[in-house]
Amino acid sequence: MKRFFTQYRAMLWQNLQVEWTNSERWLSPLLFSATMILLFAFSFGQVKQEFLPQLFIAATFLTAFFSLQIAFSRVLEPDMQDRVFEQLRTYPVSPSAWFLSKYTIVILLGILILIPTLFLSNLFLNETGAPLLSSGLFLIGLGSLLSLGALGVLLSTMMLRSNAKQILYPLIYFPLTTPVLLSAVESSRAILVDGKDLSYLLSSWLGLLVIFGIMYFTLCLLLFGELVKPE
Amino acid sequence: MVDANKQDRLTVGLGLAAAVMAGICWFYGLRFAPTDQAQGEVYRILYFHVPSAFTAFLFSALLMFFSIWTLFKRSPGGALWAKATAEVGLIFTIITLMTGSIWGRPTWGVWWDWDARLTTTLILALLYAGYLIFTSSMAPGPSRDRMAAALGVIIAIDVPIIYKSVTWWRTLHQPPSLMRQGGSTMDPAMVRTLMMCWAAMTLLAVWMLWTRAVNLRLQQRIEEHSHGVHN
Repeated sequence: MKRFFTQYRAMLWQNLQVEWTNSERWLSPLLFSATMILLFAFSFGQVKQEFLPQLFIAATFLTAFFSLQIAFSRVLEPDMQDRVFEQLRTYPVSPSAWFLSKYTIVILLGILILIPTLFLSNLFLNETGAPLLSSGLFLIGLGSLLSLGALGVLLSTMMLRSNAKQILYPLIYFPLTTPVLLSAVESSRAILVDGKDLSYLLSSWLGLLVIFGIMYFTLCLLLFGELVKPE
Repeated sequence: MVDANKQDRLTVGLGLAAAVMAGICWFYGLRFAPTDQAQGEVYRILYFHVPSAFTAFLFSALLMFFSIWTLFKRSPGGALWAKATAEVGLIFTIITLMTGSIWGRPTWGVWWDWDARLTTTLILALLYAGYLIFTSSMAPGPSRDRMAAALGVIIAIDVPIIYKSVTWWRTLHQPPSLMRQGGSTMDPAMVRTLMMCWAAMTLLAVWMLWTRAVNLRLQQRIEEHSHGVHN
């Protein structure tokens, strides 16, 4: 167990250093997110007050999902340099520690993208200044991120050797995210439009989000080991 | 050579049996099955549409079976069957979408609507297509087989949840009239015809799967001899 945590910490630290020295990796999805929000705000123009929460939810989550997809798809890129990926496969490294270090990085990158997206969305789309941002909304965003992060790492590993990863990643990623997108949008709508609280939502849409999070995490953790096994 | 001839005869025989059975069932469904009270004659497309949908979803379960087989047994044979399953599954998903669209025009007044079932089936088609593009975009070998198998497991586990979650979300499609609490609302003669059509469609699908798997096996052998893969 001690060895597992040592490996996890070492790989996480190495990943953090790589991300820190190359800020383009998290800045470009963030800039993409800002551009998308601006495009949404420009194309919708003045929106009636009663439709504002729906527009806010749809635009925010779609933007966040697109931006996160860009960040996720590049998560193993640093490992491909200098054949680090191939070397790690042959070293006695625990695949679970490897997966968890990547998952943690993805969650950190996701938070760096998700929180500014929520604020930008509120700034550009919510012209009336109605209180749309709440702790519940942040928690739903975080829940979605935790569900999608595991899938992001696994798909990124799968696409490493694919010749068509630019097309394939979104083609596979978006259909698989449908239930997460649905539950995140419906939970947010229940909070902002219907005025429900989180405890009520846990038995419905938020429950689905939690189930998905657990299922994706477990499945991806198990399958990651299969993908990185030496041939 | 004798074995190959025997196999060819068996394949042709199975194909003919499936085609004749499907022809008889569809003719019976179009000519002799009772007319629907609400929809009149137009409902008869059900004998083509519903069996196609059942077969498409059944093949997602088969995809999971062959994917798990590949992961556990490390057999290229499993990967080959999984690919054939995805190809046949995609064909039946497209048939389901097309017949659903044709049925939707006279009953709903539109060729397409973002209805739950239609959306779910489209997502399934995208997943099958993504899986197939993924396998074609990688060099043959154990690594591709393992990655495709991992993707197959994720897709197959997702299908029932996507199916349910989108149904909970919103639907224009009629609720299940066959597999529901309190028994079927359909006329027993209709149910019998539908079940016969499903059996015929499944036989046809199994024949297609068998034929495609044999072709893929031949292709694999040629690749082995030409490039020395799967050593």
